[in-house]
Amino acid sequence: MTIPLTEHPETGATGPVHALEVRGLVKHYPGVKALDGVDLVVRQNEVLGLAGENGAGKSTLLKALVGLVRPDAGEIWVRGEKVRLKSVVDAADHGIGMVFQEQSLVPNLTAAENIVLGSEGPGVRRGIYRWDTMRRLAQEQLDKIGSHIDPLARTDSLSFAERQMVEIAKVLRIEERTSNPPVIILDEPTSVLESKEIETLFTQVRRLREFASVVFVSHRLDEVLDVCDRVAVLRGGVSVGEMPTADAVPTDLHRLMIGSTGSDDHYHEGLAERSADEGEPRLVVKGLCGKTFRDVDLEVRAGEIVGIVGVHGSGREDVCRALFGAEPTLAGEVTLDGQPLDLSGTRAAVASGVGYVPAERKIEGMVGPMSVADNMTLTKQKSRCAGPMVVPQKQASLVDKWIERLSIRTPHRGTQIGRLSGGNQQKVVLARWLVAGDIRLLLLDHPTRGLDIGARSEVYRLMRELANSGVATVLLADSLEEAIGMSDRIIVMSDGRATTEVGCPSGGKPTPLDLVKEMV
Amino acid sequence: MSTPVIAEPASNPAAEPAIVKGGPTAAQRVTSFMPVIALVTLLAALTIADPDFLSQRSLTAAVRTSAPLVVLAAGATLVVLCGGIDLSIAALCSLSTVFFAMWLPDVGGLTILAVVAAAGAIGAVQGIAHVLLRIPSFVVTLGGMSIFSAIALVISDAGPIRVVDRDATSWLNLYVAGYVPMSFFVAFLVVAVISLVIKLTPLESFVRATGYSESAARLAGTPVDLVKVAAFTVSGACAGLAAVMLASRNFSGSPTMADNLLLPAVAAIVVGGTAITGGHGSLWRSLAGALVVTLLRVGLPIVGVPSAWEQILYGAIIVAAVALTLDRSKVAIIK
Repeated sequence: MTIPLTEHPETGATGPVHALEVRGLVKHYPGVKALDGVDLVVRQNEVLGLAGENGAGKSTLLKALVGLVRPDAGEIWVRGEKVRLKSVVDAADHGIGMVFQEQSLVPNLTAAENIVLGSEGPGVRRGIYRWDTMRRLAQEQLDKIGSHIDPLARTDSLSFAERQMVEIAKVLRIEERTSNPPVIILDEPTSVLESKEIETLFTQVRRLREFASVVFVSHRLDEVLDVCDRVAVLRGGVSVGEMPTADAVPTDLHRLMIGSTGSDDHYHEGLAERSADEGEPRLVVKGLCGKTFRDVDLEVRAGEIVGIVGVHGSGREDVCRALFGAEPTLAGEVTLDGQPLDLSGTRAAVASGVGYVPAERKIEGMVGPMSVADNMTLTKQKSRCAGPMVVPQKQASLVDKWIERLSIRTPHRGTQIGRLSGGNQQKVVLARWLVAGDIRLLLLDHPTRGLDIGARSEVYRLMRELANSGVATVLLADSLEEAIGMSDRIIVMSDGRATTEVGCPSGGKPTPLDLVKEMV
Repeated sequence: MSTPVIAEPASNPAAEPAIVKGGPTAAQRVTSFMPVIALVTLLAALTIADPDFLSQRSLTAAVRTSAPLVVLAAGATLVVLCGGIDLSIAALCSLSTVFFAMWLPDVGGLTILAVVAAAGAIGAVQGIAHVLLRIPSFVVTLGGMSIFSAIALVISDAGPIRVVDRDATSWLNLYVAGYVPMSFFVAFLVVAVISLVIKLTPLESFVRATGYSESAARLAGTPVDLVKVAAFTVSGACAGLAAVMLASRNFSGSPTMADNLLLPAVAAIVVGGTAITGGHGSLWRSLAGALVVTLLRVGLPIVGVPSAWEQILYGAIIVAAVALTLDRSKVAIIK
């Protein structure tokens, strides 16, 4: 695939020497092709947006650009020079710096210390900190972005937005290492900011463009279109296109992100059998409080899929875990089919017929070195036992049955689950809750994270089938589109509270923008 | 300015191979046979150094010496499989020898059971402290080690206590089938029974899941805490049984009798190839590891190495064995 050279939107200059260029970058992880031949061009003094769904390969690409990930194949060119980036320091020497999604400042140091940390230069002489020099160096950095933060303020006393400014000031230290204008990567910089703070950040980004190139990554398409000159889209580890933002609308971008396969019945809505408002609620949550959420009310009927949406920090993941007994609760009543639900621990939840699929599949969802069979029967041990003893034949026939029913692609039931592809791993994790046939409530935390489109579709189909068999489902979707496509109702959470409920029946689905309005 | 450039990927992203990696690597294969290779190599080397070594008499003696170590390492292996470590086994074993010598006159024939039960209970307390107070097992058992040593010194008046009734444990000095020392037979039986119970019940899944990924095990609803407490209980009970073997051989109990067995026991576990990070391994491996360590111990004087070098060797063995077996991809930060 080639990306044609186009004129720079502002200078009008055509030039083959780009600030940064990526050619055919490939990175495979066991079970996942994170990058499968990515091409990307970052021009001088431009803000390039990088868009793509979860699992599209954005994070891996960014990590490759700052030397945290070694690509399996492909080339990275900085200002017409081919480079091999071995570490963050190496990347900094080439003028590439990144502001990380999870903030990477040391909270109990001052802003000045954080800014010069790792590149103290004249701030340290003979191993001794020279505070006035440090302060001056930090102030220079803060002046570059026109920030008025006190360099001697302790970092944990600053607001999120201020800390972000400190991060940007810190990353601009790479200017000391190279004579060329730097490339600054901002990974989801707005996810924890409020709208006023976002404006400040955008002003900052536009200021950066005066002397640097910026790569801006965000889930919010309107932001990308607002602040970027051009946007490149990744899907499934491949560059699928790019467009100038001047004449683009979010739907164009979105179509590019999810691909054309998203247009037909991707979410298997045709399979949904149940009609709304049928029967008694299976799960009733009243006034549930925990460390990160308060007064959450929630009802889910048998056979219903209820999505919970919310931005980072809305507390929806913790509500999900609390319902599974994996997160302590402070107050509230929860009943399942009229019986009080014991939230004291995961064992109690399992015994009540509650199942949970965690977002972090590789760490929390499965035990990688154990076999497909042992992972599948890990929870419902009775399903493979007679009395206290495991009966291998019983396990074998049960597991083989589910491998066939869910069309899990594995050479054998004894294969280590870590060797399967992501989609097949997830199907085994889901099967864990199904083998005993006693599941009543299924809590799905990002069940399609990191899966390719084909595997997603199979997980969606499975969710529909489970719902049709009467399982109540709570879904924390990977994207708003997924939440809308799969859910019968959507609860919007914000700052730890369930703020709105949006009906989401087949044929009367809200648009992502409708939901975004409720979320902010 | 032209219209947006939209290019479709040529390849179908759904056409992902089901299997990404192949079988075990060469290094994994070597480490899985490591204890057997080490055992055979050692035997061969010692036989070359001293052709008399491969006699029934010296082999019987070596195997009998290994019995307490086998039991000690077997119990601690369970804790390691669960992802923890039990540093208190040697101190608890010493304390148990004191218990044994002190209780024998009063309790009589049931002393063995009483000592094993007491040591098991002490192990359980450590397990409960680890689970309930959420303290790393390393810290709990390091504290335990110091406490048990001190208790042993206090109740024994800091000296050995003679075993008055030698008949209570004389059966341990018999031979099975004429050649196999009873103490080693018992150690073998302990390993076999524990291994079998684990193998035939869901415990194997529970222990491995806990060791490989505790959070995954917990979120799958397995009884993680119970399994850990059980592992510490068995580890403690094994220390008690090892104490009975030591006391019966030395005809006394002493507050420092087993203290020098901690390093050999840990060495036995890691030489056996059980992953120090948990999940992978078995008690049988530790049995083989304990034999390797014992052979080294009795073999060093044969090849003329002063016994003072023993500790250096254990230290080196542990570091080398872990260096060979540690799966660094699993451990994000090596502390």
